[in-house]
Amino acid sequence: MSVARPAARRLVSGRLAAVPGATCAATASISSPCHQLFAHQFHSSPQLSARRRPRFANVRAADMGLMDEKQIEQFTKEQFPKYTREEMDHLRTKYSPQQMAALEAGEAAIDTRDLTVQGRLRVDPYAMPYIDDFAETQPIIDKRARNKEAPDPLAKFMDMDDFTEDIVRWADKFREGDVTGTLKTPVDFVPDNFKNTPEGQWPGVVREEAHKAFQNYLEAEVNKQALAVKSDGKDADDSDGPTDADVLQYLLERSGMTDNGRTTNSSLAPALPNKVPGVSGLYKNAIDPDDKGKDDIGVYQDLKKRTGLSVHEILRLNTKRLVVRFVANQTRLGKVGKSSVMYVAGNGDGWLGIGEAKSTEPMIASLKARLLAIRNMRPIRRYENRTIHGTVEAKVSGTIVKMSARPPGFGLRVSHRIFFMCRAAGITDLAANIPRSRNPMNTVKAAYKALCTQPDPEEMAIGRGKKLVDVRKVYYGGAVY
Amino acid sequence: MGVASITNACTHLQNATRAHLGLTSIPNTKYNLRLALALHRAGLLSSVTRGGPRPPPPEALLSAETEPVTSANVATRRLWVGLKYWNNEPVVRNVSLVSKPSRLVTATLPELAKVARGFPVGPLKGLNLGETMFVSTDRGVLEVREALERKVGGLVLCRVS
Repeated sequence: MSVARPAARRLVSGRLAAVPGATCAATASISSPCHQLFAHQFHSSPQLSARRRPRFANVRAADMGLMDEKQIEQFTKEQFPKYTREEMDHLRTKYSPQQMAALEAGEAAIDTRDLTVQGRLRVDPYAMPYIDDFAETQPIIDKRARNKEAPDPLAKFMDMDDFTEDIVRWADKFREGDVTGTLKTPVDFVPDNFKNTPEGQWPGVVREEAHKAFQNYLEAEVNKQALAVKSDGKDADDSDGPTDADVLQYLLERSGMTDNGRTTNSSLAPALPNKVPGVSGLYKNAIDPDDKGKDDIGVYQDLKKRTGLSVHEILRLNTKRLVVRFVANQTRLGKVGKSSVMYVAGNGDGWLGIGEAKSTEPMIASLKARLLAIRNMRPIRRYENRTIHGTVEAKVSGTIVKMSARPPGFGLRVSHRIFFMCRAAGITDLAANIPRSRNPMNTVKAAYKALCTQPDPEEMAIGRGKKLVDVRKVYYGGAVY
Repeated sequence: MGVASITNACTHLQNATRAHLGLTSIPNTKYNLRLALALHRAGLLSSVTRGGPRPPPPEALLSAETEPVTSANVATRRLWVGLKYWNNEPVVRNVSLVSKPSRLVTATLPELAKVARGFPVGPLKGLNLGETMFVSTDRGVLEVREALERKVGGLVLCRVS
């Protein structure tokens, strides 16, 4: 039985457990009884010396009187009473017979004693209100009710004929005098043999007579209606016809489309019927009222989601274009030039990120690099919010950047790109030198790497088991500036 | 005492800790033992145990009882040192030699004081954040701050960070 093969040991001891006497003899002679070596420790938390025991003795349900049939029955009666006759009558007024049948079946299916004995009715303030008749929609839980039909996909804007038809239909609702369309027309005043021929083909005499008769008819109709109004003792303006409000409603609310004024849940006009290739998705309007008009084009919307920053905060970040290069891809058709841009972004308070992007358009490359820099922002460790911890060195390709902490008031004695990085990150005292290659892009990368790989004194102290005190914060009550 | 065994031990410790080993061994010499104990005092090693050619069992690493050194077994004795790791990172990252057999570097007390405060003195660079230096003095092998406390200078062995 070796320590190195605890699995085997466990097997053996498990088998021996069947013979108690033999087990005691075997284990006592081989393993020490005081501590148990577990197979592997996959975590760093200390082992428990013994099995965990509850602080309080177990109280049996019977001792608490929970198993008493009488009490169970009483509790059931109080908590889960059956519907009374009045309640059932009231329910019948609300639900259809089928629903009532379902309700009764459901009531019968659940044994209220089970609810008492096994159910866990929550009474705490965080209990979900599950007992619900679904009479109300709760916006948090329920889907939004769409009780109106979807917009008519075939609806189009009215042309002149549609509009005439629509306004006649609207006017017919008011029924003043003869219903429009029931008045006679000149066709009714021509002899029968001309009734089916168009007006242009009537002989001149017939046409004139017909028109004269039609005029007389119209005058008579007008007089008749005027007499009718007078006999009613009403003013013409006071008639049953459309009021000003009706006209206003017609102007404002009548749909201009051939969908019969169908209302929908959407306040937006129906979209284009099909996706237009090459155009669909390009003209999405990304305006968010929270942005207060600062991002109407939607440049920062993705960044907003990724970083959780508002557009206002994003625009306030300190960004700087540090490197621009013009690069070219040599193809058989010639050189394809692009600009490659590197940006640095920081909030001036310990966050810094760099972003690198290429595009044929310099503006787009810059924008992409800036967004990437903001996206890549991460916290930089700072000592006293002004300098770094100790001396750090980082190497990218042939470029080595060496940075050292400096006392307050030292300033930034660093090269210009590192200067902007420090300013973006909120570092005010620093010395840096670049002893080897000074490639601009690699300088920025190495400086970022150096800032990100600073040693953490606290971690170091924990690793060594030492107490760590910053002496600067000890003397003169920490007032050492 | 020559520093050859110290140089070998330092290099081996650096290799072992970069390979993320839990336990390694160095030759059992008095000089090595003193350095290992100084490293242990500084919290850079988890254990120092004298043992044979095979590693001692884990539970024996921290127990005081070891096999007595006799003339019969002295040649096979080794120092088994436990290496420390925190957050998946070795506590000891670099062990760089200062003195080497062909060139011994000594430092007087004022020089050590300067170096400990981060200023360079002659061939010695100032100590950086989290860096320690071990000095062989007539009071034994001491960490630089211990040497300053006892007001002794001596032979600078190595820097550990």
